[in-house]
Parts: sequence; structure tokens; C-alpha cells
Amino acid sequence: MSQTNAQTAAPYPNRLESSPRLRSLKKALGRFFQNKLGVAGGLFLLILVILAIFAPWLAPYNPMKQDYMAILQGPSAKHWFGTDDLGRDVLSRIIYGARVSLKAGIISVAIALAIGVPIGLISGYFRGFWDEFIIMRITDAMLSFPSLVLALTLAAVFGAGLNNAMLAIGLVYTPHFIRLVRGQVLAQREREYVEAAIAAGISHWRIMLRHILPNAWAPIMVQATLSVAGAIISEASLSFLGLGTQPPTPSWGSMLSEGQGYITQAPWIAVFPGLFIFLAVMSINVFGDGVRDMLDPKLK
Amino acid sequence: MKTLRKAILPFVVIALFAFLAACGGQSSSNGGSSSDAKSGQSASTRTDKSKLVIGLDADPPQLDPAMSTAAVDRQVYQSIYNTLVDIDKNLNYVPELATSWKISDDGKTYTFYLRKNVLFQDGTPFNAEAVKFNFERMLDPKLGSPRLSEINLIDKITVVDDYTIRIHLKQPYAPFLSVLSDRAGMMVSPTAVKKEGKDFANHPVGTGPYKFVKHVKQGDLVVERFDKYWGNKPKIKTIVYKPFPDGTTRLTNLISGDVDIVNTIDYKDIKRANSAVNLKVSSTESLGFQGIQLNTKVKPFDNKKVRQAVNIALDRNAIAKVVFFNGVVPATSPFPETSWAHPSDLQVPKADVAKAKQLLKESGLNNVSFTLKISPSPQEKQLAQMIQSMLQQVGFKVKIEMVEFGTLLEQIAEGDYQAARVGWSGRTDPDGNAYAWFTTNGTLNYMKYSNPEVDKLLQEARTSLDQEKRKALYDRVSKILWDDAPYIFLYYPKDYKAMKNDVEGFVHVPDIMIRTENLQFK
Amino acid sequence: MVRYLARRFLLMIVILFIVSVIIFSLVNVLPGDPARLMLGQEATPEALAALRKEMGLNDPLYIQYIHWVGGILHGDFGYSLRDHSPVLKTLLQKIPVTLELTFFSFVVAILIALPVGILSATRRGRLSDYLGTFFALSGISLPSFWLGILLIYLFAVKLKWFPPSGYVPLSENFGKSIALMILPAITLGTHLAAELTRMLRSSLLDVLQSDYIRTAYAKGLLERAVVIGHALKNALVPVLTVGGLQLAAFFGGSVITETIFGIPGIGQLVVNAILTRDFPVVQACVLFMAFMVVVINFLVDIAYSIIDPRIKLGEVSKG
Repeated sequence: MSQTNAQTAAPYPNRLESSPRLRSLKKALGRFFQNKLGVAGGLFLLILVILAIFAPWLAPYNPMKQDYMAILQGPSAKHWFGTDDLGRDVLSRIIYGARVSLKAGIISVAIALAIGVPIGLISGYFRGFWDEFIIMRITDAMLSFPSLVLALTLAAVFGAGLNNAMLAIGLVYTPHFIRLVRGQVLAQREREYVEAAIAAGISHWRIMLRHILPNAWAPIMVQATLSVAGAIISEASLSFLGLGTQPPTPSWGSMLSEGQGYITQAPWIAVFPGLFIFLAVMSINVFGDGVRDMLDPKLK
Repeated sequence: MKTLRKAILPFVVIALFAFLAACGGQSSSNGGSSSDAKSGQSASTRTDKSKLVIGLDADPPQLDPAMSTAAVDRQVYQSIYNTLVDIDKNLNYVPELATSWKISDDGKTYTFYLRKNVLFQDGTPFNAEAVKFNFERMLDPKLGSPRLSEINLIDKITVVDDYTIRIHLKQPYAPFLSVLSDRAGMMVSPTAVKKEGKDFANHPVGTGPYKFVKHVKQGDLVVERFDKYWGNKPKIKTIVYKPFPDGTTRLTNLISGDVDIVNTIDYKDIKRANSAVNLKVSSTESLGFQGIQLNTKVKPFDNKKVRQAVNIALDRNAIAKVVFFNGVVPATSPFPETSWAHPSDLQVPKADVAKAKQLLKESGLNNVSFTLKISPSPQEKQLAQMIQSMLQQVGFKVKIEMVEFGTLLEQIAEGDYQAARVGWSGRTDPDGNAYAWFTTNGTLNYMKYSNPEVDKLLQEARTSLDQEKRKALYDRVSKILWDDAPYIFLYYPKDYKAMKNDVEGFVHVPDIMIRTENLQFK
Repeated sequence: MVRYLARRFLLMIVILFIVSVIIFSLVNVLPGDPARLMLGQEATPEALAALRKEMGLNDPLYIQYIHWVGGILHGDFGYSLRDHSPVLKTLLQKIPVTLELTFFSFVVAILIALPVGILSATRRGRLSDYLGTFFALSGISLPSFWLGILLIYLFAVKLKWFPPSGYVPLSENFGKSIALMILPAITLGTHLAAELTRMLRSSLLDVLQSDYIRTAYAKGLLERAVVIGHALKNALVPVLTVGGLQLAAFFGGSVITETIFGIPGIGQLVVNAILTRDFPVVQACVLFMAFMVVVINFLVDIAYSIIDPRIKLGEVSKG
């Protein structure tokens, strides 16, 4: 579950100027579309999002509908991805599973951002005892735990279920963002414009929110995007081990664990959900790389 | 040069680890071998006939029969311990540590004549004093033995002479012999208990054909032939028990690994086991029942009509077919077909959704919903989802909650549940399947079910020694339980054991135990 | 220099302390009564009360914490709730297993990453580069449990080349041990291989542009010798450092692989312990894993400070 953490130490160039901004945005987009892989990734993501949102219209069957006459059937014209051990259509379950995975990915990261960004901002800006000894050491401590084990323990504490799993994953990712944001803030606050702003009497909060944060936003977004991929795998892992989504809700991870027992007689039950996890994660990674390149090609 | 040093450090670290790994590591084998990865190993290729590997479905938690609460450690007890009496394929009682016995006419006094020249594996002689020690140990409330409730009717124990012991009961108790054929009758060495104290469970000593050698948690449990065993000298020198919690893995290691026999296979794997050319499969009906436990003290199951609705709404035949591939028998009472108490006239009804809806309406409740707690195995998940779907058609809203088995038992004991998917492994005597479960304040009555008529019938049944009379009583109990429905009986499990073709001497007794002393290779 | 190290050491202790507090708090919030879990379905109320008293479950939490830490410093990690065996003994049995898996995964990762990374960087823009980059990309995205299941299906069930699961220690039977390790090592090592490939490629590319390489070219040495001799040495450094740090992460990452392949290592131990609410085992395992990470990080810090004088001044600090 070790996500490629953007070890970004180099600070970003200041982009506060506005009309050149529009020009550079266009240039950036142009760069993005040159990256064919990134575009492909983005496209697949779009497809997933559409599947997730329009699942009720797109799925051929009700994902919960059990058909005891049709259990463990292989892919056929009637069931493109086959059926599982209760006769449910695998394709429909995968489409609804997209909802779970995307939801898990996005909300977990949102939680991590919601907690991590403010802490990182304040900690990096004000520094001092609280920052150096308390917050950073707690962050270090949390980062010392293997992420899956920590997520598992948290999920066991909170109880089973998707919501608790998302909370657990979000908490596991929070220290990463605290560190990242803090690093960005540390780099930015040495800059002249910050000194000038302080001298001019602008309040600290305004400086943090109006000036520092917008400049730090880019690497945060890149990291957030890549973390969504990790969060999807984390949710799948948790569901695979029994915490996370509860039956009968289809989740790619729990489908994989159900399929494991039938790998000899009905491999499609495990193969397809895993394939989708793989493709989703890959598209996010590739898309994220594309976004990173778009924002600053020097960072390659 | 500096860069070289930088680069070398991780290598040094890795090398250090590799060194540790190579030296460390107990033989915590979990199965699997490379040489017979190809299936179809025939008997003639077996070179080592002195070692037998048994695949278990879980790792035995501890090895003291007085403290046993799991089902899987009982398999290991078959090797290490003997019981006072044993049972055969037809559930008749046969001598083991007791060569014969007499029951007084009033059914309250049992006299056992013990086998002579039997030694415990640590050299202690087996005699009446040892038996007395064992019973007193289990009866001691400070020990907290789960066996206490099985033998608490013992009033007095008298050592008549070295090889005769007399047990006086407070009242007649028909199931007494059956209890002594299980863990309450397993004799442990008094010397060992005095020496090890609480740690006896990790250093077990019995009179059985194999003595304990070592146990690596989640790994190998090794026992070795006891040369001074009183019975037939076992042909196989070493037996290794290995845990495989996952059914598919267990079977795969039996087919293409070094496992020789497994204590159970998943129902979905029956076909695969049958079609493997190097295996044979033995099956028998077991002694237990499985179904759904309902908490009659909380909503919605304090309402009898609701319980009856659930009872009639479930399609037991479909469940048996889809989840268990017809490897189980649909159930309507606590007594499976192996038991003489089985009510042959209580047929398995077809699911009646209309009647269920009617009952639900009559109950007076609307929008009935409840949580079904299950242990987190794939089979339980599948079963629970079927139940959920069937009940949904009737108008129930069912939520499934997966709870780890130990925690589940705890929650049930504390009444913290509405419905739970829990069953019973069963006992040889029908009383063992009913009394503790369905009498008011029964030790296993976590449904808090109370019916004075049932209490009366079960009490009478356990004191009478007339089997016909008892059967009539149990028939009435079965009918009342079907009507009251505090427990929804779903199926009687069958026991499937698969083993390599050259494993001989296995007798499939309905208590599903692997009796190792007569096993050998062809 | 010594001051720097002393400071880092102190920090390490602080972190370890916080780690232990976090673990202890988390585990003690886990629902479940340890006494009942130990005694089982048929336990009597008296036995439960007695056991609770004996285990100190009625003491306030901070006292329980002090007992726990005190125990650990004496080598007493408590007893498993499931089978009453000493946790330390179990840990010591399982750790070498995970180490073995980690070692082989590492070997696999390096065996893949080195050639692919080098080829990809030296033949930039050509097919091998695209393939290599694609491999790196997919390897990072591949969920290890899916890969594991696929490998079992393909190689153990269909082709029957390898046994499906299980473990035999090296000391017992070398051949069997290796055969059983191959599929799990590939599963666990692939992700690392992909990351290493990526890093190796990019750092190699950087190094290949530098002046002294071009000087070497100009001197007329064989291309291969140039690459291997100079570029690799420099490019390897960040790669191996990342690899070394990943080593510590393996202890947690092996959880799923060990579960799928039935390898009785720490990963499997901690998962089972969490799922069965075996608190003492969970505490000890997680503490151990975090401990490994912290200590390895510290060792890498030491190594860096010995080698790179800039760091001694505390300039390039973490975060």
C-alpha cells in the first residue's frame, strides 16, 4: 500500500500575476493534452465516474438480485462478466462497486485534507514548541506505523462499515498531508512577499489563506490525486479482510475476497473486480502524473 | 569512495536480515511441498510412511480438555487422550479406559471397572485415584471449567479400589455416559497438572496413543507415538496437525501438498475433492444443528408471530442447494437424522411467503427490521445474504453485521443481539442438543427462551432410562420448538473428510473426530 | 556531529514513546472483553471476575499502560488471549519468516528493477524504454492481493508449477523453502520493483547528462563500461536508500501477501490478532513494526550524516 509520495522539496514559482496566468493556464492545458497517457487515464476516470453516477441506468441487472438457477456461471451473452455464488450479475456489481470505490477514495482523501491542511498550515507558519515537538513528533509517530495495519486497527476500533473505513483511511493519510503542507509553508514563508506582508500589517490568517495557500495548492492537489488511488486500494484491502463494506453492498475489495474461494471453479468472480481496481489506480496515477507535469514540467 | 559507502549500507542491512532469516525460523510449516506439486500422486511414491499430516480448519487454541471451548482442539485430543468410554460408528458406547460399567436401577449410581496396566505418557499409573482427581478438578468452581455444567449432577465419588470407581449422581441423568465419551471423560495426568498448574494446557499429558511434542502457534502441532500405549501400537510414528483456515487452501494442499487427511472440506469443494484422482472422500451425518438464534427478550423477536413468520419464510431446500451444494440436510428440530430422537414426522416445509406475510400482518408490527450477526466467513456471508433476500420478499428489512466469532459469542451471552447465526456441534445424547439450549436458564439458552412445558419434558427425558419413552418426550419438544420458533433450525451439517488414497484405517464416526490410533498407510 | 546524533537519538525516543501511547490507547478502545475472550462461550461469572482482577483490567488506564511498558522493557510482552502463550515467543517465531519473505521480495525487486531500469534509461525513446516505463507504471498500480490471487491461479492451480501456499523455513529444506517463496516474493516484490525501476531510470537519466559522463564518452571507453562503471554507482544511491526505507515498510505491506499465501509471519499474526481482538498480540506486533521503521530511519539518518557533511549542521531536516 506504499503510495508514491511526492517528495517535493522544491518550492513553486510565484504565480500571483493574473493575466499572464490565463496564458500559462492555456499553455499548461496544452502540455497536459500532449501527454497521451495522462489523457487516456483521465478518460478512463471519466468513464468510471459516469458509471458510478449513472449506475442504476447503466447496470444490466439489480446487483443484489439473487438467481439460484444461475449460480457460478461463466461470462456469457446474458452475463458479460458471469455470475457469482448467489447468481448475481458480476458486471452490475462491478458498476455499483465503482460507486463504493470512488466514494471511498474521494472522501477518505477529503478527510485527510480537511484535517491535514489546516494543521500543516498553522504548524508550518507559526512553528515553535507546538510545531516542532508535538505536532511533528505525532506525525512522525503515525507515519511509523505500516499504513494498512494502522487502518485495520482504526477500522476495528470504529467498527465495520464503509463510513468507518473511510474515516480510518482518512486518518492514516492525514500525516502525509500535514507534512507536505508544512513543508510547502516553510518554504513559502521565507519569501520576500511574506515579509513584506507582515511588515504591512496584514493579519497572519490572511497571509496564510490568501497568499501562501494558493501557492502551495499545486503539489497538494497532485498528492491528493495520487492518494485517491492509494485510498481505493486501502478500502479494497480492508474489505478484503472483512472490515469495510458489509454485505450485500458490492465493493471491488469484498468481491475479490469472495472470489478467492472460488478461484478454481469460477475465477471471473475475482479477476474482474481486481482488474477494475488495477485500471482505476493506474488511470489515477497516470492522470496525476499528467497533472503534475502540466503544473510544472521541471518536476519530472 | 563516499558514494560507495552510501550504497553499501542498505546491502549490509539486507545481508544482516538474510543471515537472521536463514538461521532463525522454527519449523513452523504451514503445508505445501514442491516435489508433489503435480496432482495424482499414487501410493507407491510415498517414501516416508512414518509421518502423517492432518490438515485442520483452525489452530487449536489450547490442549487441556477441561478448559476446551473450541471444536478443533478435540481432534488433537483424540491422539493425546483417552476417554472413559468411547462411541462407535452407530453411537453405541464401547469400553476405552473403563472396560465395563454398571448402572444402578435408580439410575443414580455408576460403577466403572477400569483398565489395568495403563500408563500416562509421563509414567504416572492410571487408576481410580487419577479418575477421581480428574473429576474433582473439573468440578472445582475455581478452575472455571466449561465441563462443570456437563457433570454438575455428580454428588459423590468413591474410590472402591485401585481399579474400581463409583460415581453417585444427585438424580438420574441419562446422558451421563455420552458426556464421558467426550472431553469430560478425558483423563489427564494428575502429576502433570500438579507440576505445570495453569500451563498444563501447553504441556498436555494423557494416556492416548500419541504424546505431545511441540506446538508452534498457527503452525505445526507435532505428536509422537507413545511406545507404552496400552492399546494397539500405532503404525504411524509421527502425526503433524497443520492449520488451514481457508478451505480452498486446505484442499489444495491435500491434493498437491503434503497433507494426508483434512478434518473438513468446504461444501463448495466437495466436487473438486471427489474428482481428484489421488483422494477419497468419506462422509457421514454429524450430531449437530445450525440455524439462527433469536433473542426473545428484545424486539422484534419478543413477538411470536414475527418468529413464526421468519421460520416459514425461509426456503431451506434452496439454502441447502445453493450454499451447501446439497451437502447438508434441511432441519426442523434440534435432533439430526443420526439421532434416535429425530422427529420423522416433522417434515421440512416448502417456503411459504404468503403465510409469512400473513403472520407478519397478524403480529401487529410494521416495517420490521433487525440485524443478523454472523461470523465473517465467506460461507456465512453467502448464507446471510440469501436469508436477507428471502426475508426481504416477506417485508423484513435485514441488516447483516459481521462479528468475529469470539466477540459474537460474547455479545450473545450478554444479550447484545437480535438474531445471530450460531449453531451447535452436537452431542451423542439428544439431551446434549436440547437441555442446555432450551430450558429456562439453560447454560446455553442465550435466546432467553422460557416454556415451562418444555422444561418439564426435557427434565423428564433426561432422568428416564427408557429410550422409547424419551423419544416420545423429545418428539413433543420438537413440535413445540417448531411452533414457538425461538431458534430457526436451518440444516444439519454433514461431515466430509477427504484423504489421500493410501490412508487406511479411518472410521467415520458421527462425532466427526479423526481417531488416529488405527491409521496407517497402505 | 555527536550533538546531531544525540539530538536525533533523543527524537527517536520521543517518537517511540508517542508510538507506544498511540498503540496502547487504540487497542484499549477496541471493543471486547479480554477475560471473556480468553475463557470462551461457557465461562462462569466467577472465573471471569477472577481473571479480570488478575489481568489488572480494573486498574485505571495509565496504570495499565505503565505495567505494559514496564513489562516490555523487561522482555515481557504479555500473553496471547487465545492460547495463553507468551507473545514474545510467538513474535520471535514469526519475525524470521517475514524477514525471509522480505529478503526474497527484495531480491526479486532488484533482479527486475536493475536490468529494466538500466535498459530503459540507456535505450531512451525506444521500445524497451516504453515497455520499461509501462511496467513501472502498472507495477505501482497493481493491487498486491489481485496479483497474488492471479499468480496462484495461473502457476499453482492451472500450471501446477508451484505449490499454492504454505511455508517451510530455509534451515529445514532449502529447495522446498525457495519454491514456496517464489510466488509470494513476486507478489510483494513487484510493487517495489516498479518503484525502483522508475527511480533508477530517472536518476540514471540525470546522471547520464552530466559532464563527467560525457568526458568518459569522449575518452572513448566502451558505452557499457561507462554506464556500469560511473553512472550506476551514482544513480544507485537514491534508489538504494529508498529501497532500504521500503524494507521497513515491508513489515506492514506483507500483511495481505502473507494472508493469501498462508505464510506464518508477522503480517498474518497481526491481522489475525486484530480480527480476533487478541489485544496483547496486537499491541506487541504494531509496536514492533513501528519500532523497526523508526530505528531503520534513524540508522539511515546516521549513515547520511556520516557521509554528507551538509546534514551535520541540521540544514536538511525531515519535513
